[in-house]
Amino acid sequence: MHASRGYRPVALFAVVAIVALSLAACSSGSSSAAPTLNFYLYPDNSPATQKAVDNCNAAAGGAYTIKYQKLPKGADGQRQQMVRRLAAKDSSMDILGLDVTWAPEFAAAGWILEWTGDNKAKVTDGTLAGPLATATYQDKLWAAPFNSNTQLLWYRSDLVPTPPTTWDQMIQMSEQLAQQGKPHLIEIQGNQYEGITVWFNTLLASAGGSVLNEAGDAPAMGQPAVEALQVMHDLATSVAADPSLSVQQEDDNRLAMEAGTAAFELNYPFVYPSMKKDDPQMFQNFKWAPYPGVKGGEPSKVTIGGINLAVSSYSKHPDAAFAATLCLRDSENQKIGAIEGGVPPSLAALYDDPELDEAYPFRQEIRDSLANAAVRPLTPAYQNLSIVISHAVSPPDAIDPPKTEQKMTDQLSDALQSKGLVP
Amino acid sequence: MATTTKQKVGWGSANVLVVLVAVIPILWIVSLSFKDPASVNDGSFWPTKWTWDNYSGIFDTSEFTRALINSIGIAVISTFIAVVFASMAAYAIARLDFPGKNVLIGMALLIAMFPAISLVTPLFNIERNLGLFDTWAGLIIPYITFGLPLAIYTLSAFFREIPWELEKAAKMDGATPFQAFTKVIAPLAAPGMFTTAILVFILCWNDFLYAISLTSTTRARTVPAAIGFFSGSSQFTAPTGSIAAASVIITIPIIVFVLLFQRRIVAGLTSGAVKG
Amino acid sequence: MTVTTAPDIDLRDGTAPTPARPKAKLSEGARAERRLGWLLCAPAVVIMVAVAAYPIIYSVWLSLQRYDLRFPDQAKFIGLENYGAVLSSPYWWAALRNTVIITIISVVIELVLGMGLAIVMHRTLFTRGLVRTSVLLPYGIVTVVAAFSWQYAWTPKVGYLSGLTGDSAPLVNHAQAMAVIILAEVWKTTPFMALLLMAGLALVPEDLQKAAKVDGASAWQRFTHVTLPLMKPAILVALLFRTLDAFRIFDNIFILTAGGHDTGSVSILGYDNLFTALNLGVGSAISVLIFICVAVIGFLFIKGFGTSAPGSEMRR
Repeated sequence: MHASRGYRPVALFAVVAIVALSLAACSSGSSSAAPTLNFYLYPDNSPATQKAVDNCNAAAGGAYTIKYQKLPKGADGQRQQMVRRLAAKDSSMDILGLDVTWAPEFAAAGWILEWTGDNKAKVTDGTLAGPLATATYQDKLWAAPFNSNTQLLWYRSDLVPTPPTTWDQMIQMSEQLAQQGKPHLIEIQGNQYEGITVWFNTLLASAGGSVLNEAGDAPAMGQPAVEALQVMHDLATSVAADPSLSVQQEDDNRLAMEAGTAAFELNYPFVYPSMKKDDPQMFQNFKWAPYPGVKGGEPSKVTIGGINLAVSSYSKHPDAAFAATLCLRDSENQKIGAIEGGVPPSLAALYDDPELDEAYPFRQEIRDSLANAAVRPLTPAYQNLSIVISHAVSPPDAIDPPKTEQKMTDQLSDALQSKGLVP
Repeated sequence: MATTTKQKVGWGSANVLVVLVAVIPILWIVSLSFKDPASVNDGSFWPTKWTWDNYSGIFDTSEFTRALINSIGIAVISTFIAVVFASMAAYAIARLDFPGKNVLIGMALLIAMFPAISLVTPLFNIERNLGLFDTWAGLIIPYITFGLPLAIYTLSAFFREIPWELEKAAKMDGATPFQAFTKVIAPLAAPGMFTTAILVFILCWNDFLYAISLTSTTRARTVPAAIGFFSGSSQFTAPTGSIAAASVIITIPIIVFVLLFQRRIVAGLTSGAVKG
Repeated sequence: MTVTTAPDIDLRDGTAPTPARPKAKLSEGARAERRLGWLLCAPAVVIMVAVAAYPIIYSVWLSLQRYDLRFPDQAKFIGLENYGAVLSSPYWWAALRNTVIITIISVVIELVLGMGLAIVMHRTLFTRGLVRTSVLLPYGIVTVVAAFSWQYAWTPKVGYLSGLTGDSAPLVNHAQAMAVIILAEVWKTTPFMALLLMAGLALVPEDLQKAAKVDGASAWQRFTHVTLPLMKPAILVALLFRTLDAFRIFDNIFILTAGGHDTGSVSILGYDNLFTALNLGVGSAISVLIFICVAVIGFLFIKGFGTSAPGSEMRR
């Protein structure tokens, strides 16, 4: 009838809504006897993570089943997804793969559980000092280091007979090479992102300073920061700087090195298998050395990266989650990760294991670096600090060391209290 | 009227220019999708070594296929419902007199203007509580909501221009109301509806923010979000080839959709034109 | 007399809805028309209100609080302090300046190019299907993918455009980075304008054009005096939505420069404060301010275009 014409769209809408909601309800999870633990980690291109999960499921003997759930590739995307769901007290996340800078933030917000007693002992036993420090906040352990990462100096031995030990030396060598008309660039990450914060933190720690004071409630900075900024400025204004420095990230550096324009590169070990595959010719002369320091005679302290595993506060099966995490990061599974996944382990003993020889001929350098590492500021407000730092030092050729240091110190103070805006 | 050679050449060159400018960056993506990973940055436009690896790689697991299905289903359903609702509302706005019309228009504009980044988290909370998180409905409903303002505005603008007297004329000629509507009005309304459909479809198809925030598994994840899960050979290497291959594949439905509907946009006007 | 079979939408007879008898109450016909109007709008209204009302209100409420997601217990009401903090921050003004520049330049270019494209798409003599489909392709590509494509294209030694700016990368310098961003925006969304303008063009009756030609008007005169005025509603919709979207630019900047070299827009600022710094109060305040700016722009447009706005005047 006439009235039905008008009601038809409303009825259509109601039907659609009902159907949609029923579909949603039907697709909700099922209950099973053994708990399923959802393990959230970055998307691994290699079979390493799945193998670790399978190993642990087999070892669990039915006590629990771990399911590998992928997070987005970028660290920011991973953090957003997890933060959003943890803030909503989502109980469907159990084991979380956290970037090394997130533990204090998640701990202060009450989103992850503390590791105590026996579990804690099992984690600290045999783990390298650097990775362990990133999982510790206010003297409590909040996560179990899974894999780690650090930067080395990569150079072409056909251009550089002996590797430099400080940045000033490296820049001088580069200038000499430039005068001879040879490839001379120093590849480093200068884009306005976390990578440049890492660079700054490394230089600052190598100069003997740190971003925050001991208590972590106020900025330290000071003279070491001025020195670190000076190094960045010197590089960016010398002939050694890549013209695209201020937009380069790790992969761009790798590509530039493989393209043959650079003599030095500061990057993670992923460049090694890549050079081997992409340019076997250049690979013959592709060598590594420890990261250059800032002060002559003092070794560098390199900022480390990596992943720590934490247990969600809202998990329905915390005990099983702790046990599963211990299994996922045990020696066997970290070895698989190292050899097949290309990620350096966080357990000290593995660095002596001859099976890592082929993939990691530079493992002693990595191990030393991890043992004497710099960590990024351990504070819940780390993201704010990171934005402040990356905006202040990028582009590096615009740095005015004393002025920039002063500006950063002021902004860091505000950032620590989450005051005002971040750029 | 006869077309002169000069006109043909003129339009021909215009065609070529337009197509080139539009298509070259796309050809670049196509080229990237066929490039061998080692030669991705050798600076040449066309691949020196052609490979299907990127394409076979993304179909290795069912994740991307699932994402494609999700995208198509969600976009089609959202577009259909949004266009239906918007047509009704736009018709009312263009032809009927009722209080609250300006409120409706203002509200639609308000929704279109409010930054999505702020709406995502509250929406996420609502959906989680209703059990809609990570479901098709969880994306369809927001897409309809945020597609409606554009759809209503576009359709209102079109409906206003339709000469409604034609309907009366048709009825005076003896047509039933239904015939008058379908044979006279509908063809005139068709251009607007198909234009709106294309725009809303592309809005849903390309959305990234809601897709990544309101889904967590392959159950409902659409292609733009799925691209964010592609991984390269290391955590620092961008999977350029896979991303390029995936983009080519998800552009194909758009090409099909547009090819099918672009004729209808003007077809309606060659029939039933106003005479005298 | 008007036909009395009640709200049957096909039976409009073109006369005004107000009744012939000067009664204070509405006639049966007018009331039926109102009911029909509301009914037809109901589904759209219901879904828009149900979905968007709570998030918008919640955002505004959040903007009045000091609320850091990491310390949920310390949330407290602080009135307009967040707005004060945002408006007195140099970051906001720098971002606003960038946003305004990008918006104005790209919308103007897009309007001109879009009109040109619309004419070609509408009137070209052959291969119309190919031309129309190609023109729409940029709009159909996922934005982040297109942005990646541009980034690679401009990277020195990698991309096909890198030779254009000499040795240095175009993205390392503020002016060039802005130009690259604007180019990416224009390429991506001119099709949107072109599509709407073409549809608007299609509505201009051929007869009027012919009549004008017969009267001796040149092509340009026909365009400005016949075509353009009749296209006003389509131009309004195209300009309005395009400007609103341009003001909220995010994807292209995020991928191409991540806001580096001072190219950040207000949306990137909001994103940084809301998602990265997890400062919900400040982030929401930025969102509300963006909304206010955009609302002002929209208001100015609608006022400027006057009677071409939808619903402002009904054609009979």
